[in-house]
Amino acid sequence: MQTRPDLQIKSILKAMTDVVLPAVDPDNKLAQEQARLCMGLLGLMARQLPLQFRFDCDELARLSAYSAELQRIAGDGGAQTRAAITSLEKTAAEASALLERAKAAPVEIEMAVRSMREATGSVISSVFRDGDAAAQDRVQKATLAMSKEQLLRERAWVITQGWEPDPKSVPPIEELLG
Amino acid sequence: MRGIDKDRPSPEWIAELRKRFPVEREIDRVLTRKMQRRSGPPYSPVPLEKLVEGTTSLLRACNIGTFDIAQPRWLSGGASKLQMAFTLKWDRPGAGRAETPMVLRMEPAESIVETSRLREFQLIRAFEGTVPVPPVYWCDAEGEHLPYPALVYGFAEGVAKPTAAQAGVSGLGTHLPPELRARLAPQFVDYLARIHTFDYRKADLSAFDVPAADSTQCAEWGVNWWERVFEEDGDEDVPLMRLGAAWLRSHLPVLDKPSVVHADYRLGNFLFTEHDARISAWLDWELGRVGDRHQDIAWTTSRAFGHLAEDGKTFLTCGLMPENQFIEAYEKASGLCIDPKVVHWYKVYNDYMMGTLLYATSYRIAHGGKTHQDVLITWLMGIGGMLLEEMRTLIEEAP
Repeated sequence: MQTRPDLQIKSILKAMTDVVLPAVDPDNKLAQEQARLCMGLLGLMARQLPLQFRFDCDELARLSAYSAELQRIAGDGGAQTRAAITSLEKTAAEASALLERAKAAPVEIEMAVRSMREATGSVISSVFRDGDAAAQDRVQKATLAMSKEQLLRERAWVITQGWEPDPKSVPPIEELLG
Repeated sequence: MRGIDKDRPSPEWIAELRKRFPVEREIDRVLTRKMQRRSGPPYSPVPLEKLVEGTTSLLRACNIGTFDIAQPRWLSGGASKLQMAFTLKWDRPGAGRAETPMVLRMEPAESIVETSRLREFQLIRAFEGTVPVPPVYWCDAEGEHLPYPALVYGFAEGVAKPTAAQAGVSGLGTHLPPELRARLAPQFVDYLARIHTFDYRKADLSAFDVPAADSTQCAEWGVNWWERVFEEDGDEDVPLMRLGAAWLRSHLPVLDKPSVVHADYRLGNFLFTEHDARISAWLDWELGRVGDRHQDIAWTTSRAFGHLAEDGKTFLTCGLMPENQFIEAYEKASGLCIDPKVVHWYKVYNDYMMGTLLYATSYRIAHGGKTHQDVLITWLMGIGGMLLEEMRTLIEEAP
């Protein structure tokens, strides 16, 4: 699936730089400024998006360590402090468990997807080159079934673009992703 | 695909692809040129003045006498080429001093579909007087005068969609009112029949190779063309595209009778005059070839180019008429029969080609900043899933 924000942002920035900005009225200072701000924010997004997940995990790890320290140093205090510490213990435990599950970064998942696409694609081509008819039939059926599910998600991913003649036949992406 | 730098392809890899995927000579030349130039700079905006300068150089080389290029301006429309409108003040042969509206159509550094300006030029010239086409005047096939290869057309009157209609880019998603489609549909069928019954042997089509009749060469050249492009341009592999290529190769149809194929015959690619609903020009011949008429029949019936009628149930081919009516009218107008099994194969073929352009080429050229409208190319990538689902279903339901 290649309709990803990095390519989209790159294309938008090129259109803004090459076509839109030169056409903005130089006397309309507000429009000039806001066009440049749009481009600046898009450039910022392009840099931040690949790092967003790592940034959040990094912060969560720091907060987990900090919460452990807080539990250690906050003392017994009064009722309010004890209640807050109890609440923090519960929240910190949930955060630690979550952090434990978030071991792989999105970019690693993306790379694994690419590798799996290539490896499975190679099997398809090979079977149709030197496999027997029965194996080809089985591979065809399996590929069509897997692709049906994948393509449904790819179509739902871009449903707001308006390409589908019958958009109601495509479930919402939120539902498909579980 | 790992291990190959497709943004800087090596001569060895280019040679390997040429050997693996034999295609028509001119197609081979254009694809090879694309790969040899890929590591060059991205597209950078060309000022109108530079286009005027290049057009002036081209027209001087064509010895058209004294002339003046007036009112140059940008035109939008189309996803693949840059277009500049202008008025040529010149001594028009046989007409004396004239002011002729014209359009310069030029490639960007890389296009969503890499094609030959020479083929486009020859094909349009060949069809003058057979179907309405914009007059085509001059060709800079190798970009000797302009920054990239280009054609100069006469300006054709008409609109690609009703002035009041809503449509997406490239005319996709255009909805025609019933009274208009009733008038356009018969012309739409008739012109397709004329193209397919045209005697290509009498025309100068030297940039085309003619596939052998009673063989699978035509289909094989086609699959080689698009599988080669997928290999050249693709970034992320697509298992269904692998299956698509394998399925096409194991079901190659035999060509009964070579015909000229427009290859992009659809709503959005013709102009019509609104006051009399007359088709005034057929555009976008760049993918045309001498091939199998079933390719065009399959193309016009793609889900991407039509929509549901007012009843919400009947799918209209190119937004004009139901598919069965379209086929029936075509057979009557052309005297040629249509084999549903071959149409089915070409539907898979067309979707495979579109899958290649949308999943492979679009990514490659937008990623490399190679066009004047990468943002449009990126937008169009969104249609790929729907077209591949069509291909998937077609393979599943193949007769």
